Amino acid sequence: MQERTRYINYNVLKEKEHWDDHTREIVLKRLGPFIEYKFLSEHETKMILAIAEHIVYDERKEILLYVVHNLDNTLASPIGENQRKVGIPEHKILVRQGLKAVDKFAQKQYGVSFLEINKQQQLSVLTALSKGEAMQMEWQSIPQKELFKKLATEIVSAYYSHPTVWSEIGYGGPAYPRGYVRVETGLTDPWEAKRDANEA
Amino acid sequence: MPTKHDFVQHNCDHYDGNRYDHLDKRKYGEEADICIVGAGAAGGVLAYELSQAGFKVVVIEAGPFWNPQTDFASDELSMHSLAWNDTRLVAGNNPLAMGHNNSGRGVGGGTVHFTGVFYRFHESDFQLRTMDGVADDWPITYKDLEPYYEKIEKDIAVSGPKHFPWGPFQGPYPYPEREPISANSELFRRGCEKLGIRSAVAPLAILSAPFDGRPPCINRGFCNQGCLPNAKFSTLIHYIPKAIGHGAEVLSDCMVTQVVVDKSGRVTGVTFIHDDKEYFQKAKITIISAFCIETPRLLLHSACPMFPNGLANSSGMVGKALMTHTGHDIYAKFHDEVRIYKGTPVMAVSQEFYETDKSRGFVKGYTLNAHGSRPLGLAKNLVSKADIWGEKLYDIMRDYNFYAQITMVGEVLPDNNNSVTLSNEKDEYGIPRPIITFSYGENDNKLIVHGVQKANEILEATGGKPAFVIPDTGHLMGTCRMGNNSSTSVVDGFCRSHDIPNLYICSAAVFVTSGGCNPTETVMAIAARTADYIIEEAKKDGQYGMRKTSSMT
Repeated sequence: MQERTRYINYNVLKEKEHWDDHTREIVLKRLGPFIEYKFLSEHETKMILAIAEHIVYDERKEILLYVVHNLDNTLASPIGENQRKVGIPEHKILVRQGLKAVDKFAQKQYGVSFLEINKQQQLSVLTALSKGEAMQMEWQSIPQKELFKKLATEIVSAYYSHPTVWSEIGYGGPAYPRGYVRVETGLTDPWEAKRDANEA
Repeated sequence: MPTKHDFVQHNCDHYDGNRYDHLDKRKYGEEADICIVGAGAAGGVLAYELSQAGFKVVVIEAGPFWNPQTDFASDELSMHSLAWNDTRLVAGNNPLAMGHNNSGRGVGGGTVHFTGVFYRFHESDFQLRTMDGVADDWPITYKDLEPYYEKIEKDIAVSGPKHFPWGPFQGPYPYPEREPISANSELFRRGCEKLGIRSAVAPLAILSAPFDGRPPCINRGFCNQGCLPNAKFSTLIHYIPKAIGHGAEVLSDCMVTQVVVDKSGRVTGVTFIHDDKEYFQKAKITIISAFCIETPRLLLHSACPMFPNGLANSSGMVGKALMTHTGHDIYAKFHDEVRIYKGTPVMAVSQEFYETDKSRGFVKGYTLNAHGSRPLGLAKNLVSKADIWGEKLYDIMRDYNFYAQITMVGEVLPDNNNSVTLSNEKDEYGIPRPIITFSYGENDNKLIVHGVQKANEILEATGGKPAFVIPDTGHLMGTCRMGNNSSTSVVDGFCRSHDIPNLYICSAAVFVTSGGCNPTETVMAIAARTADYIIEEAKKDGQYGMRKTSSMT
């Protein structure tokens, strides 16, 4: 497998002293420790953790735990959902009932729950969901594509807000108050990510 | 959000240290001359112009009174709080994504998190029926808005090129164009050059040099997350504080729930809710500047025996002909790093494909903006709008720094089936949630295909390998269109409702057609013109005393 990153020696957190206080506080909270779950049950958190591994193609618990906590926070919050398609249940219900349906689907296909099937099987379940092809009775009340999109969007949003992931993709991160000075083609500020000399 | 700073608490009334604690002790609690609902692009300009003219102005805003220094962060996820996040129901063949990409919440509205791209509409944008035989002509022309475009650009020191190659206004802009431009914008301009397509540095409501106590841009790239240095214009930091200086009162965290009409059919004011308690704001004139969803929602919900189909809706056009812009994002991968996180997102543009060219097989056109993205924005759009996830998403994001992006802003034609209606589901204020129905039409789809192809050609011309396209939208317009005919439109050319003489509707909601470029400047120009009209009318009938105010500007 290829290296996770082209920027082996880069850690965006080394620059945190140069961030404004409010930004630093927000970003550092993503490293944990996390407060207890407010909405999700233990079984649901495990399922989302397992689903997140596939969605973001990463198994690192220290990052995915933040992802699950962020989703829990979203679901517990009174803030709205931006948009919801007519006829689709509210996201709290969609996720809760949806995870149950995922388990039932795994049970029917493989005889055990989602957490007990192997990674390959989990991936096929999720692929079927994403395409709306998991045709079973339980999906009549739970729109599977919407469920997949809801989970995936929340998971991806949190994952790409994690400073470790920023470092890996070579993202310069927060830049206030100093800003970016060298923005033209081929130029970088001294503190931005530099590619490893040996990477392909 | 840090617990020590609860932004909901620094709410009501006044800017910095001049606040009342109780809404029962409002400055214009007995009666205001003008009540403006919504403190966004239009509401901010109206508040400024009308308070400066001596009117007693109250602005009522559903969201918080942000303090950029403590409320904003260089962080995409947390700054979603700047959007109108309330649940809206969506329907149609192309259901719209709502929230951060089109609706603001809080003082400043969408201007707090727009990219600062600042275009005038072209002459042709006001005359689609005459020129192309589709949609409708506006009741106003470019010439009507021209002085207001000019005024607004000077008011906020728009930066832009000495020569802008398209449309009726070709520069120079009040402030010099931004330089240097980002790598992404450089690639765009080089690609255009190779293909013989004219390009320019973008006109921006972002400072290229100090102005009005504010510094020039430092290229953080977080325009859409709220500008911390205040280099980017918003009505939050420009017009609203100045309006307060002229005596206006701003009531933030106050959700307007009803426009109230008396027996004679005139609006007497609005009811609003703050901290679960209901209040009434009386006013001689009420202006609804609550954008394209909340405006029709409020008017429809305010139905009363005299106006059973909703206020200002004798034409049945309230909520009809909602428009967006095609906002397709076109990406190509390059051999060398581009780093689209750096710099103002849009710094180079082309309007070469803006006007109708019959040989293309569709009418009207689009703007191409070189466009940056931060990681969350890209990854989230990949999964939610392009169905890319798992290993494929990981592969793309691993090479995040190697992609360049162009975003098209394409005209969408009005269609009465694209609409805002009320659902049976109610929100926490007891108001029915809106249903937003949207489907692209045939012309729109042809225009998208053309725009995506041109963007790819530009990226390829400079060495990029076309990678993926994210079908996105941006901006909302319509639902309370202006027109001379009261049976087919909601307001006249000055944004005054046909049905109720002291009710104005002033925001992108009054757009007749969407134009092929970012609409904020046109919203603001329309607001400035409406303010002028109200001032002139008041002078004529002598109904409102013109107070002398302090000379603070």
